[in-house]
Amino acid sequence: MRVSRFSALLILLFSVTTVFGQVTVDSSAVSTEKPAPKKPKPVKNTFESIWIIDNQTVLVPVKGTFEMDIIHRFGTLETGYEDFYGFFAPSNIRLGFDYVPISKLMLGLSITKANMTWDGFVKYSLFTQTKGKFPVSLTYYGNMGVDTRTADNFIHTSDRFSFFNQLLIARKINDKLSIQVAPSVSHINIVNGYYKTSGSVADSTYESTVEGEMKHNHFALAISARYKLKPSLAFLMSYDQPLTKHPTNNPNPNFSLGFEANTSSHTFQLFVTNYYFITPQRNNMFNQNNPATIKSFNDITLYPQNWLIGFNITRLWNW
Amino acid sequence: MKRNFFIAFSVITIVVIASGFSYRFQQDPKPWPVPDKNAKAVNPVKSDAESLKTGKEIWTKHCQSCHGKLGKGDGSKAAQLKTTVGDFSSVEVQKQTDGAIFYKTSEGRDDMPSFKKKIPDEEEIWAVVNYVRTFKK
Repeated sequence: MRVSRFSALLILLFSVTTVFGQVTVDSSAVSTEKPAPKKPKPVKNTFESIWIIDNQTVLVPVKGTFEMDIIHRFGTLETGYEDFYGFFAPSNIRLGFDYVPISKLMLGLSITKANMTWDGFVKYSLFTQTKGKFPVSLTYYGNMGVDTRTADNFIHTSDRFSFFNQLLIARKINDKLSIQVAPSVSHINIVNGYYKTSGSVADSTYESTVEGEMKHNHFALAISARYKLKPSLAFLMSYDQPLTKHPTNNPNPNFSLGFEANTSSHTFQLFVTNYYFITPQRNNMFNQNNPATIKSFNDITLYPQNWLIGFNITRLWNW
Repeated sequence: MKRNFFIAFSVITIVVIASGFSYRFQQDPKPWPVPDKNAKAVNPVKSDAESLKTGKEIWTKHCQSCHGKLGKGDGSKAAQLKTTVGDFSSVEVQKQTDGAIFYKTSEGRDDMPSFKKKIPDEEEIWAVVNYVRTFKK
């Protein structure tokens, strides 16, 4: 069969087109997917110690951290030079050991001089502030305290026990500033009582009941802040506001100011505070050191005689 | 006799007093071989402003006390160590790979603590490596 020149040209053209069609890259087959965005990480170092003066912080150190705490509160400034502004007055001390056996969970045990109080605590980081996911960090802290003074101080064994539960909510505002809000509830198994009487014996309407001087449960709110002055030096502030109104012996709020210095393994906090008891449920329920009376912005009376100096030292090991 | 006794006593006294002022000479560190696999590890963290900021924060907290602010080995604790800390701005250190510096930071040896537990996030240690590079002369 004779192939005409025109047909040959068509065949050639078709072949070339086909070849080129095979070589031509189909742009729709090229991936245009952008690389997967990096997953945001939880913020680091909202606080650099588990303590902020008298309260815990949201921080739970990394798994395997073993920590030793030395917490000290001197006497108040009340007697001035006589006891060198509280340095030589009776002090309160806590020796504690904490460990992080698994990620986010801290367990601790300590003894505090005031009422020879042993307390064991649990601290769990529920979540950490993460961009696009969690606006704050949330940690739970709970302890059980046991007053181990001699038996003649108690009627029942259960009188020795007290409990403290707190939710720590913090946000790292920027590289320098972190703020924490921490509502809490304290529970004391035993409170002092008094006889409340009514009526009269004469008309047989006399009644006498035992009432508690305080309620067993006490709600409070702590607001704390940390401001970094230098990479290893920060300014600390904390305010504790009692919320529960008791029949008598209402505790005073607490106002603390101080500084924190950090190294690789140590944190040192030095501050002025009103809380003496160290054990948080006792601080919240029984603080009788009133820092100030504030009637208005222009009418503030400070009571420096009720302030005391204290320090916290923590040393950690990573095992 | 008395003169000899006096001389001997003086010599002994001087030796005893002088030994109180003696100090231990620091040794140069032994060679520190890094496994090939670790030496060849590629730094996954870009040396950008954020990584250098992270690296600097970690350096200031964990490293500066021995290695000094600029890696010169003049930190406040450096003199107490058994071995010299070295100068991180030197060619000897800077010629090492990122992986080698990461390995030594992470694993530690002798006076140099291991940081793999204290800083479990590897990207943070890589950030420190990026920061060490800024010491280069």
